[in-house]
Amino acid sequence: MLDILFIGLSLGSILLLVALGLAITYGAMGVINMAHGEMVMIGAYVAVLSGIWLKASLLLAIPLAFVVTALLGLLIERVVVRRLYGRLLDTLLATWGIAILLQQAVRLEFGLSFFGIHVEGLGAGLQNVAVPSYLQGTFRLASADINAYRTFIIAVTAALTLMTWFILYRTSAGMQVRAIIRNPKMAGACGIDVKRVNAMTFAFGSGLAGVAGVMMSGFKTVFPDMGTTMVVDGFMVVVTGGVGSLFGTILSSGLLGEINALVAIGTNDILARAVVFGVVILVILVKPSGLFSFKGR
Amino acid sequence: MSIERKFQIAAYMLFIAVIFAAPVFGDEFWLNRISKYLVYGMLGVAIALTWGYAGILNLGQGLFFGLGAYMLAMSLKLSSLTSLQQGSDRPVPDFMLWNAEPGAPTELCCINKGSFLWLPFQSQSVGLVLGIVLPVVIAGALGMLVFRKRISGVFVSIITLALVLLVRLVMVDAQPVTNGFNGLTDLGWLTIGGIEFDPYSRATYYLCAACLSLTLIGARLIVETRAGMILQAIRDDHVRARYLGFDVSLYQVFFFVISAGIAGVAGMLYVVVAEFASPTFMDLSFSVTMVVWAAVGGRSSLLGACIGAILINMIEAEVSETEALVEAWKAIIGLIFVLVVLFMPRGLGGVAHDVLRWFVRRRKLGKAFPALPQQSEAL
Repeated sequence: MLDILFIGLSLGSILLLVALGLAITYGAMGVINMAHGEMVMIGAYVAVLSGIWLKASLLLAIPLAFVVTALLGLLIERVVVRRLYGRLLDTLLATWGIAILLQQAVRLEFGLSFFGIHVEGLGAGLQNVAVPSYLQGTFRLASADINAYRTFIIAVTAALTLMTWFILYRTSAGMQVRAIIRNPKMAGACGIDVKRVNAMTFAFGSGLAGVAGVMMSGFKTVFPDMGTTMVVDGFMVVVTGGVGSLFGTILSSGLLGEINALVAIGTNDILARAVVFGVVILVILVKPSGLFSFKGR
Repeated sequence: MSIERKFQIAAYMLFIAVIFAAPVFGDEFWLNRISKYLVYGMLGVAIALTWGYAGILNLGQGLFFGLGAYMLAMSLKLSSLTSLQQGSDRPVPDFMLWNAEPGAPTELCCINKGSFLWLPFQSQSVGLVLGIVLPVVIAGALGMLVFRKRISGVFVSIITLALVLLVRLVMVDAQPVTNGFNGLTDLGWLTIGGIEFDPYSRATYYLCAACLSLTLIGARLIVETRAGMILQAIRDDHVRARYLGFDVSLYQVFFFVISAGIAGVAGMLYVVVAEFASPTFMDLSFSVTMVVWAAVGGRSSLLGACIGAILINMIEAEVSETEALVEAWKAIIGLIFVLVVLFMPRGLGGVAHDVLRWFVRRRKLGKAFPALPQQSEAL
């Protein structure tokens, strides 16, 4: 039983890893960022490329991926998303277009493949990332075999969540973000530079996705389309938890992860995912504002 | 009748005339490809109806398309030669035999646990009827649940999205009954009233063209009824519509169901033309792609969305002939999409509308100008 719960916890932490960035961009800014999954993908490719070209370990790729995807997020916000605030469904469509662009950029090696130049680590093929030896294998804890890498993921997720919580609730920048979540116009009237804070928030959310990508690359094959399913999972988690509620996102990712693990033991992985989708639909039908949400003003 | 109105009718008539005249220009192979695009055009109309006129962005339209496709495909599978030649006097799908347990009877009723579900599909009319009834019933039930609870905007999108992915997973998981990932291939031909619809024939093309024309005209007429007007009022301000005493959810459910019905018919036609049904119809990317077609063509223009769907697919097919451009084309589609959302939110249909406006205003001014010098002379 303990090992099933552990698998659920690790599934939940992966969900949270992806959803954390979305909880910020969607929850705080009301942007449905369909390119979020592609940020995860780019993060994973940063891990692949830094492994090949810099001979760097996975740990070093984490800050590198954060910087790369945060800068990319900043660019996307400046060029596209900025013009679409308040047009919620249009952000969904535009970022879907960006998602396709990013996928094809990686697949075509940023256009270099047209000139016959091949960059190792890019292209349409599958990539793998080596996990450092001290993160491989399992250890025993209270009669359950615990996978070391999954434990590492849980630890990183916990650290990132704590960091996000600290930034949101214990710094002045976070206070500005929370003010914008509640009421952007009033926040602007109080002297907050809404545009600047939004750009920073979007970059931070994208950076988190990049870190998620590095973690993913350790146990999944890396390929250009890998982000599409993740962004769906991420949205399910955020909506179930309640838009704009960090606490709700954490709890709902844990909940959905455990449901997934428990159902998968009884049946199979495919049905377990179907059950998770069913639970999400039920939650939205019964409580459209999510399990944990506050009243916007 | 205003000039805009005349132009609109002319555009519809011209479009229908063009699709009916198309067989003159190409061979059967080309017609088969165009038939597929006409089916996509129907999906464009279905999306424009819910998204443009009702303000409901359905990211799970593939569900209704897929259900329609599977219902008819099950019937056509049973009338295919491979199903008939399996050593039983009644048809049994070949994949069921491949996966059958040793000693299982070669009968549709009991070859595996779920195979009895196929029994009614021995008649093609059952497949044809269910192909439209099932999407309509499911859309009705979903619509009742969602719209009665006053769920709106992005939450509807997420529910429909989750539902289509859920059904897709269940279909894939039910491998003994649905052939899982592989889908239903090797189908027979649709036969209605003695006419066999060979996918590479003019008859099939005209069937698709007729269905698309009827869908376009029907959808156009229905949005101009009083119900259609109220629907647009709801889209613009549902609170006000509710305060005026309209049963908001009733109108939303009604148009949601019509859109689902169109998608169901489109799914059936696609099976007739392409001769397969597969779970990829219920992929997230296919449902979003339909929305892309409608957005480029013009979300609030039925004809625009339809032409958008056909045009994008025609260009894509042309470009795909050159191998190097296949992947680049996807990137171009992504770019076009971002640009359309940013700078042309009303799509091609919106641009056509604006051009017409400008033209009409110029004509009026043109009439007014010659009168001016005379006035000055009189002064």
